[in-house]
Amino acid sequence: MKCPVEKLSLNKRLALITLLLGIIALFIGNPNNKNTIKVNAKELALSTIKDQDKISVLQLAEWIIEGRSDFTLVDLRNEKLFNKYSIPSAVNIPVENLLDSDLMRNEKILLFGDDDITSAQAWFILKSANYKNVYILKGGLNEWKDKILYPKLSENATAEEKNNFEKVKQISLHFGGTPQIVSGTTTNVIQNVQTPSAPKIVQPPAGNLKNVPKKKREGC
Amino acid sequence: MMPYYKFDYFSFDFSLVVAFIIGIGFGFALERGGFGNARILAAQFYFYNMRVLKVMFTAIITAMLGLFYFSWIGWLDLSLIYLTDTYILPQIIGGLLLGIGFVIGGYCPGTSVVSASTGRYDGMMYLAGMFFGIFVFGEIFPLIESFYNSTPMGRITLPEFLGLSHGMIVFLVVLMALGAFAAAEWSEKVMTKKLGREKE
Amino acid sequence: MSSLSGIFSKENVKEEKVFQPEPYSNPYLVGVGLGLVLLAAFVIMGRGLGASGAASTVVAVTVSKVAPEHASKNNFYKEYLTDGTTNPLKDWLVFEVIGVAVGGFLSGTLAHRIKRTIEKGPNISNRMRLIYAFTGGAIMGFGAKLARGCTSGQALTGGALLNLGSWAFMFAVFAGGYLTAYFFRRQWL
Repeated sequence: MKCPVEKLSLNKRLALITLLLGIIALFIGNPNNKNTIKVNAKELALSTIKDQDKISVLQLAEWIIEGRSDFTLVDLRNEKLFNKYSIPSAVNIPVENLLDSDLMRNEKILLFGDDDITSAQAWFILKSANYKNVYILKGGLNEWKDKILYPKLSENATAEEKNNFEKVKQISLHFGGTPQIVSGTTTNVIQNVQTPSAPKIVQPPAGNLKNVPKKKREGC
Repeated sequence: MMPYYKFDYFSFDFSLVVAFIIGIGFGFALERGGFGNARILAAQFYFYNMRVLKVMFTAIITAMLGLFYFSWIGWLDLSLIYLTDTYILPQIIGGLLLGIGFVIGGYCPGTSVVSASTGRYDGMMYLAGMFFGIFVFGEIFPLIESFYNSTPMGRITLPEFLGLSHGMIVFLVVLMALGAFAAAEWSEKVMTKKLGREKE
Repeated sequence: MSSLSGIFSKENVKEEKVFQPEPYSNPYLVGVGLGLVLLAAFVIMGRGLGASGAASTVVAVTVSKVAPEHASKNNFYKEYLTDGTTNPLKDWLVFEVIGVAVGGFLSGTLAHRIKRTIEKGPNISNRMRLIYAFTGGAIMGFGAKLARGCTSGQALTGGALLNLGSWAFMFAVFAGGYLTAYFFRRQWL
């Protein structure tokens, strides 16, 4: 025969435990405060000095051409600028939305803005929010434009410089850029005659890039 | 650090395996609770069998306490757990509809799956109805889209809304649940007597 | 004798040599179990449980198969369809709900509660009960989408997360149920 007292006491015991946990919770108050985050300042400072968190535009260009997909390229500028031009494969996450984004803590994140300032700030925000692999595109979009889209070679360049330029030229053309040879005041544009203007966003060959995943629904 | 998936401990494909296993646990618990049976679910609204309230509130406070203490210990980053945005008016209207549908149909979406898989024809009919209801919603969505998106309040929790500490709300919810349990036990006793039924 | 107590009382043991359905478990223990499953979902996945979302995906995929043009214009369906690179049915909630069916069947089998039957009160015909079930399901499917979730996704998950909208939703569900229960008592009592 089932003993009703025993059954009842189990429920009462459960209730008692729950009540206790509830009362303790009352005294704990807030388990974690979202606005204050523990930061290992020394570690942050060290990685800043070592420059190990910076990726050059040339490096990035090669990655994109190779079709590497182990990183997420994040454009920190606003949507309007992003729509006008951005580096292929970049996703647009303005700084203010950074912490609400779908970026994973362990994913390799490469940040860029127009220059280094926004990305440095964003880098700090993400680092302090426990993101592990955050990198900055050195020089940002300005440097991307200078070095990749409109690379210049002065006429009296050394052989080594010319050699390097050949490589950059190929990369530049891949991204729809206009490499130029500068001689004094006149600029000789290779391939394209018109004055440099922001090229159209060139999508690299299909299958070459990580498909930027659509925001996954998580609700019911 | 929890939640594991948000820290990339495993891939999306593996998360589907997790989904399946968690689903099994969910379905198992629902069936154990008697939620595959429409009469037990509907009895909630006639006060003679309060299993729905008991199971639901116990589950809520269990998970709530777990989340609270895990994040207090520092194992869990609470801010990484997905929280649906609040749109207060559509949610209240939707909730009222759900309550009405609950009394008429006898199930809610999750329990109807268990009911159907344990052989209940009414559960299967309910599922068919649910697909139809969602289809109707989808078809008229352009007409009600503005209402659907009205009164947005963003990602907001009770502690934030009421300006009380998280622990205070946890405590109040526990008190409320325990009070509700006591009331449920009492009402079952009274109603079963009144309806001439035996207490379960 | 009402059919409700028939399930639980031992006096109704039939003569046939079949396993009797076991009584349902202690609701508080089941609640703790369900809470732990929910907690596991939070801890492992960072998200809660759901049910109606999976049905929405199925509906959206079906509509887009029948009328792709039509579905792609609709913001509601679009949310459940992917950009074509992945199968929209390869979705967390879809797999979870398949698990729910399996788990329910498993538990029902172990407790000898699998039964081809219709659950209803004694004063209503099978046909009416099925019509009611369909109607209720339709109302609930509609309401769940309006509320952005059902009892699992909003009340249970959002309840544990102390989500403001979920608590408002939960009270609205109980209010809706209790306000209309009287009119449908024939079906259950």
